[in-house]
Amino acid sequence: MLKIENLTKVYPNGTVALRDVSFEVADGEFLAVIGLSGAGKSTLLRCINRLIEPTSGRITWNGIDLTALSQAEMRKVRRQMGMVFQQFNLVKRSSVMTNVLSGRLGYVSPYQSLFNYFSADDHARALKNLERLGLRDKAYVRADSLSGGQQQRVGIARALMQEPKLILADEPVASLDPVLSHSILKYLEQMNKEDGITVLCSLHFLDLVHRYSTRAIGLKEGRIVFQGLPQEIDDVQFKTIFGQEAERVTIL
Amino acid sequence: MDTSAPPRSQNALLASVLSLLIPGAGQLYLRKRQRGIAILAGVLVLAYLINWALKNFGVEEIAGWLWLLFALFWAWNIFDAYRLARAQTTYGWLGLLLPVVIIYVIGWHVTDINPDRLVTRFKDVQVVFRALVYPDLFTQEGGTWQPSENFGDIIGKIVERPAPHWLVQLGLVPEGAKVPTPVLGKMAETIAIGLMATFLAIIFAIPLSFFAAHNIMSRVPGGTVIYYAMRTFLNVVRSVDTIIWGLIIVVWVGLGSFAGTLALTIHSIAALGKLYSEEVEHIDPGPIEAITATGANLLQIIRYAVIPQIVPPFLAYTLLRWDINMRMATVVGFVAGGGIGFFVVETIRKGGYEQYAAALWVVAIVIILVDYVSAKWRARILAGEVKVSTEAPKPFYTSLRALVLLAIGLAFFVLCWQLAQIDLRKLFEPAPTFVKVVRDFVALDLSPDVFDTVLKQMLITIFQALLATTLGGLAAVPFSFLAARNLMGASPLSLVLYYLARGALNVLRSIEALLYVAIFVFWVGIGPFAGMLALAITTFALIGKLFSEAIENIDPGPMEAIAATGATGLQKIVYAILPQIIPPFISYLIYQWDINIRVATIVGFAGGGGVGLLLNTYFGMLQYHKAGTVVAAIVIVVAIMDFASAKIRERLV
Repeated sequence: MLKIENLTKVYPNGTVALRDVSFEVADGEFLAVIGLSGAGKSTLLRCINRLIEPTSGRITWNGIDLTALSQAEMRKVRRQMGMVFQQFNLVKRSSVMTNVLSGRLGYVSPYQSLFNYFSADDHARALKNLERLGLRDKAYVRADSLSGGQQQRVGIARALMQEPKLILADEPVASLDPVLSHSILKYLEQMNKEDGITVLCSLHFLDLVHRYSTRAIGLKEGRIVFQGLPQEIDDVQFKTIFGQEAERVTIL
Repeated sequence: MDTSAPPRSQNALLASVLSLLIPGAGQLYLRKRQRGIAILAGVLVLAYLINWALKNFGVEEIAGWLWLLFALFWAWNIFDAYRLARAQTTYGWLGLLLPVVIIYVIGWHVTDINPDRLVTRFKDVQVVFRALVYPDLFTQEGGTWQPSENFGDIIGKIVERPAPHWLVQLGLVPEGAKVPTPVLGKMAETIAIGLMATFLAIIFAIPLSFFAAHNIMSRVPGGTVIYYAMRTFLNVVRSVDTIIWGLIIVVWVGLGSFAGTLALTIHSIAALGKLYSEEVEHIDPGPIEAITATGANLLQIIRYAVIPQIVPPFLAYTLLRWDINMRMATVVGFVAGGGIGFFVVETIRKGGYEQYAAALWVVAIVIILVDYVSAKWRARILAGEVKVSTEAPKPFYTSLRALVLLAIGLAFFVLCWQLAQIDLRKLFEPAPTFVKVVRDFVALDLSPDVFDTVLKQMLITIFQALLATTLGGLAAVPFSFLAARNLMGASPLSLVLYYLARGALNVLRSIEALLYVAIFVFWVGIGPFAGMLALAITTFALIGKLFSEAIENIDPGPMEAIAATGATGLQKIVYAILPQIIPPFISYLIYQWDINIRVATIVGFAGGGGVGLLLNTYFGMLQYHKAGTVVAAIVIVVAIMDFASAKIRERLV
């Protein structure tokens, strides 16, 4: 169970990205985070694994207060949280295999990993994950030779290597076309339903929210303006979250 | 842009009077701050320079002209203030032209340009030109061409020597027998110096670069201080030219290839460190985020997210530096001993111009090869190869080919180590006077005499660089059109011209200015004129190539469009080509000006005048206080010029 209490983030230049955000995520949920660009979605996700340090507030996960942990302890927690990015964030010149194996870095001996040494177990697990995502035959190819959808799948395979309890997905399909978006989200859904991994996913399109998520929160200018089931987002709620000029757009 | 005061004639009169009394004051009053300050500074600098030139160079004939131009400038400044106040056109170009003319006139006399001498001595210098065409590399003995003794000195020869120990041990030859032994020549020594310096520099530059990278240092407690310290250190070391480092290192480890290698290494560490650190700062932060999110520690983040991103540009910069180091290795021997630089000094002293010419040709061939290899390799690295394979790549130690290459590489490395005469023990046994020398060096001599001398020579050096850039640049502009593929590819005749032009530029470019000075010293005598001419040749060659590449890189669209209107070739040039190439041309000129300031400081070592000569003299007479002053002056001037040129290029781009 992930509990966010009164989370606030103010950047050094004065921008208030998150204002007093509080909500809870039960284990096994697929929570959609929606809102305009700049509403605070990316900041929120990054505060949870403390890639960005919150200014104030508390984040509790399975009883541990994450905001009170040291950097070393936080690293141990991070390995249980996988992260998927909008720009995929693969190491372009490295092979797909190396990218996927780097998901294991939090678990392997720091000295052996410096020499690119991973156990046979890790290699097998990596190949299995790639197989699950339909990329087994691309295992030793350079990462930047893959298409966008394939690169995102490598990103998911990397997150899976961590055997995570939680996946933070920061607009994972914003750079992909409608068909690929569904394909990627289906993988996340599969992990959510079959492996029991909690998923926090920020999305732009309500169709995707309706189709894949079990719950949704809406952010506007750093504040939560909606919490509830996706079906509950009617036209009024829509305008509250996205503003008066917003219009609904369907994506297939 | 400041706004000017409303145009009332009262304002105009006041502004004019202000500018009459104090140049620039009127402009300041009209709130054109930059203009006002520039005019005031210009007047002060020009007055100082004219005064200085008249005092030191005995140019009374032109004194009248100089002061007349100065007065014209002052008058223009009044005119300018008046017209600005009335919001009318001011002919600003005149305000730029007058100081430029004054500076060039002064520069002409300061660098002792004397076209007469070029003509009168032409007959004599033909000896040198003949030598260039008939270098001493081969001799005809009994009808066959044999490598001459000079060839052996430069490239290598086989000499009968007592057999080495291990051959005797193996029982292959009797004790005391003589065996043909290959002895490598000065060029091989030079290549070894260049390679070893690059190799050693990489080892130190890589860790230092991380300390000078802001994005890495800010993640470490106390890192920002280290970052600033390292950055400053690298900049200071870099601004002292390799040749000058050579002078200092010679006192430490003695004359020879080792000193040259060390000097080159020190300078390379700083230059590479800076380039590397800039690459580290420019990496994509995305993968760093991703790897951090998996729970990795700092070392793992560096290994998996930082290093794979920086390897290609690191390799590319290393190859670039190797190219530069090979060139520097050909001249570092001038002061530090070792390599072909030292050989050139010796042969010129003995008047052996055929040997000197042979050395130049060998240098040209080697450097052109190095250029070619370096450029090809860099292009491959930056393009990136995509290998398609479905199996895991085998580790390198299982491949026989890789192992053989590794063995050859190691053997080659050991050979270079010996040729460069690297003797680490010498590092730890400095000459007894070294500490005293360093202390003297740092305690600068700022007495008025020395200060004046250094200032005078420094100004001469700056003028040398200015005139060389101008002359070389002017000559390069028309020539570069001949060396541009897209303009010359039309007919077979023009293609031949293209190859000739390109070839000429490449050959001229491959030889450092210091090696050319000897020719000009012979032609026009020792002094700043010789140094300036040598610089002009290298400027011409370097800029010619850069300009021709700028021409080749233009957008062909406008050319097509103008041609379609039925324009002639000349009109095409003026309307389609010139507008596109003027910004890069100016940018390259400033870049070359930067380089020329540095090189101008050392042409004096071969008799080319300027601070180089002063430095050589002081070191020779063991007056290290004064030498320190000269080096400090050079560092300051280079730093100012660097800063100014960077700011100007920023404005252009």
